[in-house]
Amino acid sequence: MDPLFLAYSYFRRRKYQECVEICSQLLEKNPYDQASWTLKTRALTAQVYVDEVDVDEEGIAEMLMDDNAIAQVSRPGTSLKVPGTGVGGPSPGVRPTSQSGRPLSGFVRPGTQGGRPGTMEQAIRTPRTAHTARPVTSASGRYVRLGTASMLSTPDGPFINLARLNFAKYAARPNLAKALFEYIFHHENDVRNALELAALATESCQYNDWWWKVQLAKCYYKLGMYRDAEKQLKSAQKQQDIIDIYLYLCKVYVRLDQPLTAIDIFKQGLEKFQGETTLLSGIARIYEGMNDMENAVKFYKDVLNFDSMHVEAIACIATHHFYTDQPEVALKFYRRLLQMGVYNGELFNNLGLCCFYAQQYDMTLTCFERALSLAEEQTISEVWFNIGHVALGIGDMTLAYQCFRLTLANNNDHAEAYNNLGVLELRKGHLDLARAFFQAAYILTPHMYEAHYNWAALADQMGDLQSSYNAAKRAVDAFPDHVDSKELLKQLKHHFSLL
Amino acid sequence: MSLFKARDWWSTSVGEAEEFGSGCLCVANIDNGSDGLDKIVTGSYQGILRVYNPRPTKQEDGWSGYRPEDVLLESSLPNPILQVEAGVFASGSDLLHLAVLHSRKLAVYSVSVMPGAVDHGRQYQLKKTYEHSLQRAAFNFCYGPFGSVRGKDFICVQSMDGTVSIFEQESFSFSRFLPGALLPGPIKYIPKLDSFVTASSSWQLECYKYQVLAVATDSKTKEESQSMKSGKRVNYDWCFNIGEQAVDIFVTQFQQNAPQTILVLGEKNIFCLTETGKLKFMKKMECDPSCFLPYASVSDGGVNYLVGSHTKSLMVYQDCTLKWAAKLDIVPMQVCVGTFSDLKGVIVTLSDAGRLECSYLGTDPALFIPPTTDARELNYPDMDREMAMLQKKIKQLANKSAIVPSVKQEDDLQISCQVNSSLDEPSVAVDMEYEDADGVPSITVRIQLKARLLLENIKVIVHVDYPLASSLQTFDVSDVDPSRPSEHFVSFFVQGRGLPTTLTANVSANYISASGAPRVAVGRVKLPIKLVVKPVLPVKNAEFKLTLDSNKPPANLLEIFTDLAGENAGGQGAALGFQYFGGPIVTILASKTSQRYRLQCDKLEGLWLVTKEVVGRLNNHFNKGKTAAYSIYFSSQLPLQEYFDLIDSHFEHRLNAKRCSEMLAQRASQFRAIQRRLLTRFKDKTPAPLGNLDTLLEGTYRQLLHLADAVEDNNKSQDLAANSLNCGTRLFNLLIRLWTSMSDDEFKVLQQTIAPIVPSSQEQGWEESVDASVTHLLRTTLAKSAKDQTLNPQPLQMPEDTTKVKKHIALMCDKLGKGARLVEGMPTNTAVNMAPSQRKEKKNKISATSKTVMENGHIDTSDDTETLIGSQFGKQKHKRKEADSLSYPNGMSELPALGLPVENQPDEGLEFHKKKQIEAMVPDLDDMADHMEGPGLVPLED
Repeated sequence: MDPLFLAYSYFRRRKYQECVEICSQLLEKNPYDQASWTLKTRALTAQVYVDEVDVDEEGIAEMLMDDNAIAQVSRPGTSLKVPGTGVGGPSPGVRPTSQSGRPLSGFVRPGTQGGRPGTMEQAIRTPRTAHTARPVTSASGRYVRLGTASMLSTPDGPFINLARLNFAKYAARPNLAKALFEYIFHHENDVRNALELAALATESCQYNDWWWKVQLAKCYYKLGMYRDAEKQLKSAQKQQDIIDIYLYLCKVYVRLDQPLTAIDIFKQGLEKFQGETTLLSGIARIYEGMNDMENAVKFYKDVLNFDSMHVEAIACIATHHFYTDQPEVALKFYRRLLQMGVYNGELFNNLGLCCFYAQQYDMTLTCFERALSLAEEQTISEVWFNIGHVALGIGDMTLAYQCFRLTLANNNDHAEAYNNLGVLELRKGHLDLARAFFQAAYILTPHMYEAHYNWAALADQMGDLQSSYNAAKRAVDAFPDHVDSKELLKQLKHHFSLL
Repeated sequence: MSLFKARDWWSTSVGEAEEFGSGCLCVANIDNGSDGLDKIVTGSYQGILRVYNPRPTKQEDGWSGYRPEDVLLESSLPNPILQVEAGVFASGSDLLHLAVLHSRKLAVYSVSVMPGAVDHGRQYQLKKTYEHSLQRAAFNFCYGPFGSVRGKDFICVQSMDGTVSIFEQESFSFSRFLPGALLPGPIKYIPKLDSFVTASSSWQLECYKYQVLAVATDSKTKEESQSMKSGKRVNYDWCFNIGEQAVDIFVTQFQQNAPQTILVLGEKNIFCLTETGKLKFMKKMECDPSCFLPYASVSDGGVNYLVGSHTKSLMVYQDCTLKWAAKLDIVPMQVCVGTFSDLKGVIVTLSDAGRLECSYLGTDPALFIPPTTDARELNYPDMDREMAMLQKKIKQLANKSAIVPSVKQEDDLQISCQVNSSLDEPSVAVDMEYEDADGVPSITVRIQLKARLLLENIKVIVHVDYPLASSLQTFDVSDVDPSRPSEHFVSFFVQGRGLPTTLTANVSANYISASGAPRVAVGRVKLPIKLVVKPVLPVKNAEFKLTLDSNKPPANLLEIFTDLAGENAGGQGAALGFQYFGGPIVTILASKTSQRYRLQCDKLEGLWLVTKEVVGRLNNHFNKGKTAAYSIYFSSQLPLQEYFDLIDSHFEHRLNAKRCSEMLAQRASQFRAIQRRLLTRFKDKTPAPLGNLDTLLEGTYRQLLHLADAVEDNNKSQDLAANSLNCGTRLFNLLIRLWTSMSDDEFKVLQQTIAPIVPSSQEQGWEESVDASVTHLLRTTLAKSAKDQTLNPQPLQMPEDTTKVKKHIALMCDKLGKGARLVEGMPTNTAVNMAPSQRKEKKNKISATSKTVMENGHIDTSDDTETLIGSQFGKQKHKRKEADSLSYPNGMSELPALGLPVENQPDEGLEFHKKKQIEAMVPDLDDMADHMEGPGLVPLED
């Protein structure tokens, strides 16, 4: 059999390693064999390929050195930086926030974990746990790891020596250049050289190839030149309507913190490509990022109309139902996920909670038991925390106390557990311990109003009015509509004015 | 992800260890049977051609499945089979024939039936109709009525280098190069346009008219051959840029006269184009597709297609809406739809390992049964008992603040350390931070690891506090056998500039015990003092002095310090001098007449180790074998002020560090601001002058570097100050202990309150933590009345100055001096050294002689502690000059400034001191020398 045919067949069957080996042998015999060279390039690329649309890791440096922001203080509801300023955001009293202060999403994606710290100093000082970790710049982190991964796959040194490549020669040959570009961009992760090749190639095809424009935009995006990326994408869009162009364009707008424009673009895309689930879920994600849950859920439901197997949509709708007091409905969605073959600790944990709140007590503990046996290191603390909640619900304070302690044993940054332990200690009358727990909780997560309020109430009882006042103020900052905090603050102000 | 799974109708494994690619499966009525039922044809890369006719029967428990008689034909062909297709390939026959593509050959076969008497007596035969040998390695082929002939299928073979060769049934027609070909893509024939559509290496769809290909020949060479080397460039009719490699192409027409659509499966998207190359719709896939097949059109103008993915699922799309998703057991390489006995529309899939499955879509859930969790018989009474026991245990542990393992298990590994009796010869000390004239010694310690059973991969860590260092910090021991303990030698020496705080080194070994638990074994090394000091001649004068009282006449110092006699050996043993390597000299003097010892040094912190050593050795010396009647106590004034100076100096460094880092932060933000401005300037399309921003950037950068250096320097000196404070604190605590004759428990509390460990952290420094703990003591155990006991702890922040902590320490010392106890429930301490009566006397005497002279040894001269503290601070500066009321038998004076030679009697000394205050500003050296009993002490230092 023809070895090149076999290599190509391996490539199509995704047996990249075998493909690379055959190509290497062919290239040893004939170093100028362009077909095997291209095939090897593509096989190496495919080994590390990640769709750029899905990658959105915003580094600290990008976020803070961002000079593309339109306005430093944006109007309510027009920015992703200060979510919840628009209408309809869920209150933190109902929907808890993640460790970084965003409302919990039903589905973890890149970028949903981190909040946006205000200043560089704050960003650097934020404890870098697994829950809040964010690369210093997006030029490092995952990309560096990819780079090292690509070194591993070619132990004899790089397959293509980029420094000695005559880009102009390759750019003139479209059949070679595209594979080469993807290799440089994805495998070598060398954006500058990729940009050079793309620029030459788009010139040599008289600016008639939308693909090269999209690649230029990808490079510009990675280099942080969002306006240039936008220009290229718009130009590509004029030539040919392709879904990816809309997705990239919206990614640029999200990075420019113009969520409303991004939604507009998505909607334009939807006119061309009706029922495209990637576009629909893109809109939903933006609405979710802006804390507009009603709209987010509406679009997630649209996604399900076109693709009823969409895990992200199902999970997000389920979460929404759960936090809007419809655990029975949420249970149905989660059950569907289970039937579809999702089998992990998070799902069983959610099922357990839904069962508990839907008063199906017989299933609650079995679900949690499963969740505990399946949960990984990072989620096991959350499972214990939720079991603690169930224990609180059935009034078993000892069990609740032990569960929260176990939460802390697994993740000692768990502020909610500290807070709840504080409340339990307070009920036992151990004021000192309670105080210590509250303080630990609010230092860990300053955006969580509960710990502030609890500490304020405790300090008020103990007569430490100054601390109480400060804490109550912080609670109101974290959750402006919290009635009890405002009440306490009013009382204290009244008290102080009497003095 | 799918709710349901594809229901298995019939399946089999084709061959053993054979490989299949896409193209190796064909479903057609290949034997031209009259019932019109489809057969399945497979051809493997190993060259074996098989024809199946699945005929399962319904049984009680489902379908009967594969039976051997389902195989109609199995034939081994000499070459690998790349593709099989059925079509009207033979001239003069309108029956379906089977075209088989080998790497270098195209063969067309007919499958014929020889009827037998019974059903399974039927024989199938494969007859070769014709074959073409190919000049180039083939990749794939497509077929169709090229040139719009009727009822015939011609074949177009595409080779690996992108050449297409047209075969009009038995005869070869022509070959053409496709332009820009590198790796061939899928190719299909569009009957309506009489064109070929293919995906090129430039990742676009190209459509070539058959006519254009046929006439694009050089007029010179009439002869058409496959082995042509060059050809005229052909141009495509239209092209469409899909921007990715195509996996497969299908051209569909489900109704007569309806426009044909071209469906292209890319690596990430599915494209649907009109026959003129306009995009109808596209769909971005969320999984990696492996194959697809358009099968019908349900709605007008729409198309339904099956997509198989690498995630082992089969999806049914109608245009871009997912209609059904079913789980497969394999990754399909190719999917076909066929009509078999009893069942229409059976989905036939083939995996690359040769799993052939015929299935249909059903609502069987993808039966995923979660594995049952460890199910045991529940025995409720037992569980209750266990639960109660555990709860009890938890309760017990929860009551204890610190969880301490109650029973110490015998360790698997034991570390024993032996210090060499003599110093190393030659010394192995390296990387010294200072110089010493005599050379820095080192001492070797033998670390022996003994194991009870065979242990592997032991990591040993040797830790010793700065400024001491060891030749090895960590080392790995591959295994320790119980019969052969492993031995290692580590040398210790003084490396750093500071004074040593402790002479203990820790050796710890990490290992995994036999039960699999990680364990740590710890060993301690007590280093001899001769490692850090060397004997020198005693020095008469020094800045700081300490006097220790005892209840026995002084011992001969040479007897006590036999190992450190040095040049002093042979003397009378009343004075000894030690010098720290690279540090100050400490002199020990033993009084001849009174029961006192005096230690003096230029640095307070330098006294610590020697004092400790003296106390330890004296206790050993006198308590040898007898009743512990010997005791040493400290009766002069606590060196509060000197100690406070150490605190101040440490705090000064902390303040400095804070200032520096604040400045650094400010400069850094300035730097970023300039950077940002520069960036906008540079990114501006119209170049603007930089406005000296670059100079500013440069300048700020230099400042940053400078500040960073300053922080570094400050850190170093802060470490030194912390080290001094550490020594000072240990000395101070020791003195308090000697002064108040504390019990061990009390000393532990004291040691934890005024902790000698000085953390280098900026956030939680020594000052505030000590202040907090001392305040706590003052408010709890040392509180006099309930009023004092209100606890309102302040937040732990860096204080603005050290007044508070100093005040609190002084207050604590005062209370201790009054007999307060650090542990609750003990009677008032009456053993604070020096009988109160004696003190009273002295106090009276002093007040009689002079109001300005502070009484020496005790701070409780006044009952009003608050004012006392205040007054003490007020007189801090004077104290150093005036506070030496106690004089020493050998005439060593306490005050360097005065250098006063004093008489033997302390009380007289006081008087003397008063009178001679002025004239004694110049030390009377001769006098001193006369009084000295040491061997030739030369008062050089003055």
